[in-house]
Amino acid sequence: MLVGGCDVGSATGKAVVMKDGEIISYVIIPSTTKPEVTARTVMDEAIEKAGLSSIDDLDYIVGTGYGRLKVPFANENISEITCHARGAHWLSPTVRTVVDIGGQDCKVMSIDEKGKVLEFVMNDRCAAGTGRFFEAMARVLDCGLEGLSSLSLQGKNPSTITSQCSVFAESEVVTLINEGMELVDIVAGLHNSIAGRLNSMVRKVGLVEDLALTGGCAKNDGLAKALEEKLGVAVKKLPQDPQIAGAIGAALIAEEKLNGQS
Amino acid sequence: METNLKSKAFQEFSNAAETLVNPVLQHWKDQGGKVIGYFCSTVPEEIITAAGLTPFRMRATGSTGTEESDAFYSSINCSFPRHCFNQVLTGDFKFLDGIVCVNSCDHVRRIYDNWKRFVPTDFIEMMSLPRKTGPDQVGWYTDELAMLKDKVGKHFGVEITDDRLWKAIKLHNETRRLQKKLYELRKQEKPPITGAETLAVMVAGTAMPKEQYNEKLRELLDELSGTEGPGSHRARLLIVGGILDDPAYVKVIEDQGGLVVTDSTCFGSRLIWVEVDENASDPVAALAQYYLTDRPSCPRMYGEHDNRAQYVIDMCREFNCDGVIGERLIFCDSWLVEHYMLGQDLKAAGIPMLKLDREYLTSGIGQLRTRVQAFLETMGR
Repeated sequence: MLVGGCDVGSATGKAVVMKDGEIISYVIIPSTTKPEVTARTVMDEAIEKAGLSSIDDLDYIVGTGYGRLKVPFANENISEITCHARGAHWLSPTVRTVVDIGGQDCKVMSIDEKGKVLEFVMNDRCAAGTGRFFEAMARVLDCGLEGLSSLSLQGKNPSTITSQCSVFAESEVVTLINEGMELVDIVAGLHNSIAGRLNSMVRKVGLVEDLALTGGCAKNDGLAKALEEKLGVAVKKLPQDPQIAGAIGAALIAEEKLNGQS
Repeated sequence: METNLKSKAFQEFSNAAETLVNPVLQHWKDQGGKVIGYFCSTVPEEIITAAGLTPFRMRATGSTGTEESDAFYSSINCSFPRHCFNQVLTGDFKFLDGIVCVNSCDHVRRIYDNWKRFVPTDFIEMMSLPRKTGPDQVGWYTDELAMLKDKVGKHFGVEITDDRLWKAIKLHNETRRLQKKLYELRKQEKPPITGAETLAVMVAGTAMPKEQYNEKLRELLDELSGTEGPGSHRARLLIVGGILDDPAYVKVIEDQGGLVVTDSTCFGSRLIWVEVDENASDPVAALAQYYLTDRPSCPRMYGEHDNRAQYVIDMCREFNCDGVIGERLIFCDSWLVEHYMLGQDLKAAGIPMLKLDREYLTSGIGQLRTRVQAFLETMGR
């Protein structure tokens, strides 16, 4: 049984191909301005990587993410909230709280022992705590996205950055640069400010361990560390690239649909 | 609005909800009739009707921006007064012959300050609405209403007698009964009318003389009774919130498969679930008692949270709802804590709730869709 999950996000497109409950390939590409094209391209690449000849080899495909309505080959679409929860739970069954930090929004889900979403919160039309925020800061600080994470881990005296708005945080950062603050401390301060925002979102659904991060920003170890300090609990490491959790969830739901479980 | 209803009466309501001045209201104006705009559902329409005027509930339908009004407000003011006052400045409300404001919230009360100072208007009044709902406050509000009655009467040259008031009260109660009948139809397994359509009918009721409205509503009820809707929804929802006057917002929710079958909003069921006591001795006191105490309250009122939550729970049971959507205008002080507490109360009653923040003009539809879809998925729908 071959199934596919296609997660068309605001920043990246992700596709996963699963065979009998195992991942046989996955691909991540930057999103284009046409969600249909992003979906097609990333799915085709994943199919090729899996050694399959065409999309027709897949028995069922679920689309998710912002572009989920624009995945022309999907049998159905499921919200990314449900998919990330399912994916994180499959990757690590003890997870009960999922923090998904994507390109343009972040969400916190509380889930049950089966990976079903019990409650969720989502940030409101604001780039704070999203990939866009980190991209903007990496640009101002001229350090690249990877640089942000490693610099953050070196900060000894994190600066206080009160503004969580991307635009105003940028002004604060410029002020701090001009005051001669250490780059590592500014970056650590930025991560603390975002971790603080995520912390309050987690409190809204209620913190239950284990807690895992998914989405592209989950790869940022500096953010994970800052969040651990704010929450007072360890962030559970996922055994697979956290950026594809949504696509994995979509593929798992595709499998369930085929099996008639839902 | 896209609709499956073939009804001519509904089409008139739908058009009325999409504009400020509908043909019925325009006809009234053309015949020399006068129209009084009022803010907030706690202003008794009956007093305006009793004076031979038509009450018009203020909304900012058709607004396209706040460029004109933003100078008068701050960036943390609610989008409703900003859009509404923008239309005041651009002349969209010139059809009004008078305004009645109330200190419903600090954002809306500032419309009065700005309007009075910057836009010449013959009749503009401010009422003082108590924060508590006990007998002392009813006494206070009775005095406020008596003063409003006298001012309206004096300005428009009408003596608003008790007879006129009772007649208006009976007419408006009839509107409530008819609207409630429409709600009753939504208890069906396959409701013949959607939440978005119902909201259009309710909004239209605040924008035309009640006699004509009641007549059209009877027509719609006749057409709908005994019929069924498609019944293709995934879940039955209740929507709770404040000045939700845009059927398009409800339609986004319903397009995801969540049929809104009832509500607790101030363009919705809270206006009609209880009637003014027609057997009381004094009509003004009866109105004060009704508007301040008897009707399901808005979170603006103190000490009433438990009753409000119970109302939502009771409505959920009565209409067989699977879940609740709470909507709140960003920067709305009154609804700030209410949603969180209500969420806790509903959780204890086993009813899931989705909390949404919104702008007055429906926007951010992508995120709204995602939330509603995910909410339906969490309910296994």
